Amino acid sequence: MEEARDSVVRRGEGALLWRTPLFIAAAHELKSPLALIRQLALSLEEEDCSPQEIERVIRQIILTSERALRLTTDLTKTARLEDSLFDLEPFNPISLCEEVAEELQPLYRAKGRRLRISPRTRPLLGLANRDLLRRILTGFADNALHYANSEDDVVVSARSYNGGERIRLGVRDYGPALPTHVWRRLESSLGVSPTPLPARPNSSGLGVYIAKQFAEAMNAEIGAIRHQDGATFYVDIAASTQTRLL
Amino acid sequence: MSKQPLVLLIDDDEWLTARYTRLLERAGFAARNVGDVLEGIEAIDQLRPSVIVLDLFMPGPNGIVLLHEIRSHSDLSQIPIILCTNSASDLDHKSMTAYGVVVILDKTTMRPEDIVTKVRAVL
Repeated sequence: MEEARDSVVRRGEGALLWRTPLFIAAAHELKSPLALIRQLALSLEEEDCSPQEIERVIRQIILTSERALRLTTDLTKTARLEDSLFDLEPFNPISLCEEVAEELQPLYRAKGRRLRISPRTRPLLGLANRDLLRRILTGFADNALHYANSEDDVVVSARSYNGGERIRLGVRDYGPALPTHVWRRLESSLGVSPTPLPARPNSSGLGVYIAKQFAEAMNAEIGAIRHQDGATFYVDIAASTQTRLL
Repeated sequence: MSKQPLVLLIDDDEWLTARYTRLLERAGFAARNVGDVLEGIEAIDQLRPSVIVLDLFMPGPNGIVLLHEIRSHSDLSQIPIILCTNSASDLDHKSMTAYGVVVILDKTTMRPEDIVTKVRAVL
């Protein structure tokens, strides 16, 4: 019994030590929405607000807490990846893009931004773990909200390549191009480093780290394309051979 | 009629700056918001605010870049700067003072009306 407990403690300590930079990055990422929720709640307490204003601030508190909860859920899942098996299943990538857009639409609207799906006529069938893939794509789309300019839509897309053997799901944002030094760090974090590195200027890189862990757990790959007017973050998965399902 | 002192808020969180703007305007100040450092530099140049309330971490260049920029212009370096950040506990307050920061507000512990109190205090 004691031996088993010691083993758990040792395992826990190891995980803590290995993940120290991750914990710091996570703490920083969570501090921001928590501080915002507190400030918004205090402003309701102290200000003389109209009913419409109260409704708006409550909505902002809800949306901000949902963002923080998404991050905590992703972090919890990341910590348990090693002990889990993730089934790969055939699924419709366009329908997944629609789900992600639907989930984030309230947040985009509240920030005065637009998120849309790139239209596609030919059907696709992907093979991946739907839950992990959805989390990756939601993270990319959430991240794009903060870096895209307010004039252009953020676009979620799915397309096949490599003779139909692979499918790329991506989130394209339009905004300032990433500086070269930031791009190099991003390439590094997409590569081999397990340590969160800044993926965007002043970002902890935690989102990219989480996406990479999820992708590796289902043999998918993440990447990014630097454009003159923004960036595309994508995840590549295998196409399903069960075309009869289409 | 006397002109209202102008407070320039440089912070990418539009929900938060909307609250602060409302409080400042109710207290008799004029307030303007911009969402990043580059817009902030442009606004400082055009508006010559009485006080700047600056966040540190935003998309694009961070707040330190703006502090450097202000310090390099003698006509701007007299504008009091209030740093309003989630990372106050991680900062070296002495070096921030050297950059011209007169007050550091910690978003994780401050109350919204502290913005008004501190703006009044530095004017």
